[in-house]
Amino acid sequence: MTKKIAIIAEHHGEEISPVTYELLTLAKKIQGNEAGDICFFILGENAEKPAQTLSLNTGEIVHAINIPGLLQYNGAIYKKLLSTLFSQETFDYICAPHSTSGMDYAPALSISLGGSCITGVEDVIMEADALYFARSMFSGKISARLGAEAGPMVLTLQPGALKPFPLEHKKKGSVEKTVIEITDDTMVFTGTRPSPSEGSDLAKAEVVVSGGRGIRDAQNYKYIEMLARLFPRSATGGSRPICDYKWIPYGKQVGITGTTVSPKLYFACGISGAPQHIEGMKNAGFIVAVNIDPDAPVFQIADVCIVEDLMEFIPLFIETFKKKRRKKDERNNLGDPFLD
Amino acid sequence: MKILVCIKQVMESESMVRINDSGKWIACSASTRFEMNPFDAYAVEEALLIKETFSGSTIHIITVGPEQSRDTLRKALGMGVDEAIHILDNHIGYRPPSLTASWISAYARDTGYDLILTGIMSADEMNGQTGPMIAQLLSIPCCTAAIHEKIGPDETHVSVEREIEGGARELFDVKLPCVLTLQTGINCPRYPSLSMVLRARKKEIHVIPAAFFEKRDPGVTLQALQYPEKKNKGILLNGTIESKVDQLIYILNKKALLV
Ligand SMILES: Cc1cc2nc3c(=O)[nH]c(=O)nc-3n(C[C@H](O)[C@H](O)[C@H](O)COP(=O)(O)OP(=O)(O)OC[C@H]3O[C@@H](n4cnc5c(N)ncnc54)[C@H](O)[C@@H]3O)c2cc1C
Ligand SMILES: Nc1ncnc2c1ncn2[C@@H]1O[C@H](COP(=O)(O)O)[C@@H](O)[C@H]1O
Repeated sequence: MTKKIAIIAEHHGEEISPVTYELLTLAKKIQGNEAGDICFFILGENAEKPAQTLSLNTGEIVHAINIPGLLQYNGAIYKKLLSTLFSQETFDYICAPHSTSGMDYAPALSISLGGSCITGVEDVIMEADALYFARSMFSGKISARLGAEAGPMVLTLQPGALKPFPLEHKKKGSVEKTVIEITDDTMVFTGTRPSPSEGSDLAKAEVVVSGGRGIRDAQNYKYIEMLARLFPRSATGGSRPICDYKWIPYGKQVGITGTTVSPKLYFACGISGAPQHIEGMKNAGFIVAVNIDPDAPVFQIADVCIVEDLMEFIPLFIETFKKKRRKKDERNNLGDPFLD
Repeated sequence: MKILVCIKQVMESESMVRINDSGKWIACSASTRFEMNPFDAYAVEEALLIKETFSGSTIHIITVGPEQSRDTLRKALGMGVDEAIHILDNHIGYRPPSLTASWISAYARDTGYDLILTGIMSADEMNGQTGPMIAQLLSIPCCTAAIHEKIGPDETHVSVEREIEGGARELFDVKLPCVLTLQTGINCPRYPSLSMVLRARKKEIHVIPAAFFEKRDPGVTLQALQYPEKKNKGILLNGTIESKVDQLIYILNKKALLV
């Protein structure tokens, strides 16, 4: 059976988001060894430009749906338009990103098309001719395999879960342009507001020490600060919940809806390792995780895994390190009596 | 304003998560403790804040779940909501969100709610589907990840700030009735007050058996649960805490990360 697969591209103006290329990997995995159609849909005013880039990079067919006036995501318009498009031309699978926009339109789209929906997909499993989709549950402590029978199947892909599909410049793709006038008065875009993490010093720091709910109390954030002080050019950060609890300001939030950091060294202390946090720090050069739970998902991406209570480990680390440094300084001083 | 808040009961966040014998759900014992989905506490609180501004508002809460989920309704009643509806479904295990959404929307149809609030996701299943599906089933707008909302004085629109990647916000004017799914941090959920809790105990909960609703094929089935494959790329430090400290100092020194 050949499968028809549509991918809804994510883009910001002319810039294609990385998850769009990861969606192609998802589509190819669904397709397996069978022949079939894969095509992209990209929506927005001036959709042709990013559509050109996408077809050039993937060699696939890209439908550029030009919607005058749609300069940023609008859920009502996406839902209306995509339901119309996909009832005119049906697909077996519709792949969207598990981003703040994909999460917004995908579930509704599956309802209006009478299909099924699986969100936060991380992988595709082929077993005895049946396709299953793997996704996290229970904060990543469990991986669930779901199957879908009713078509179309609307899937959202967890960003970062699959590798981007390698760029393909040999195959010639194509762009098919359509202009659609569409407005919606139930949801009107009125503007934007900058992120509270704008201008935060986190992104520039060489060492970031972050705390999560595992610190248990606002005052225990001092352990995070003490640890950070051992390193020059360091900054302190945290997971979203401790910002929500007002233990630290949102400017310090690391993750998909906070700051994305890529320091030389990242400490995750009392952080479970939810995908939304990992997306914001996985490019750190070296990751040290301290967590009392040996099954914490954060250990899957850490370079050094330490199963300990952070409230005991951090003070002991600081004390031991300072002692060693003092000894080293003393040795150095003995070696050169003129230097102080 | 007539507000409906959807709340779900989930296992307490630090519970042991072990797969049961069927391989299709989590093992529960007498000592397993449950709580209101932490993401839903923001929805209850937001409804209470709206009621403080628009006096005369009513807040209903609804849950789909087994007998025991009534405790969670009681907790929300203790926070100050007016009435509780329980769609009783004794099935323990994965219930696809489209099914939950179809029952809630069937209940909410023609009941005149101006606003339906949900959490951004359930802490256990992490679907993020139920709210947007309810809206679509009712053919009303939905705005997800709301981090700020303000209802217009004529109560026909709500201004919503929705949070996107990087923490920036997109502002929308949304027509009522609508569904909002709330991002964490939109408010600080209150604790139930003792007097409210006492009063809540006496409140009647409106129970509707799930069988009352039209059967619907959710189209999705859970085949199996597994523990994630451990593909740790790093090293696990062994030994006493003192030895782990020494090892970490040694590793960081070698990598020239400590000076
Ligand atoms: C749309 C959306 C966007 C989001 N964006 C972000 C984001 O940008 N950034 C972000 O961080 N989250 C984000 N989240 C939330 C995310 O899903 C998780 O809920 C959050 O990251 C969990 O934070 P945590 O690890 O601090 O808490 P938990 O998951 O509760 O983990 C706490 C950890 O601490 C450990 N622990 C407890 N006590 C100790 C101790 N004494 N010593 C050591 N360890 C201990 C526990 O074992 C546990 O692993 C987002 C969610 C959504 C839905
Ligand atoms: N069984 C349920 N009963 C009532 N509301 C629910 C239920 N499941 C999910 N919800 C609501 O839908 C939101 C998203 O859940 P989910 O789609 O499972 O991630 C939750 O935060 C709740 O507000």
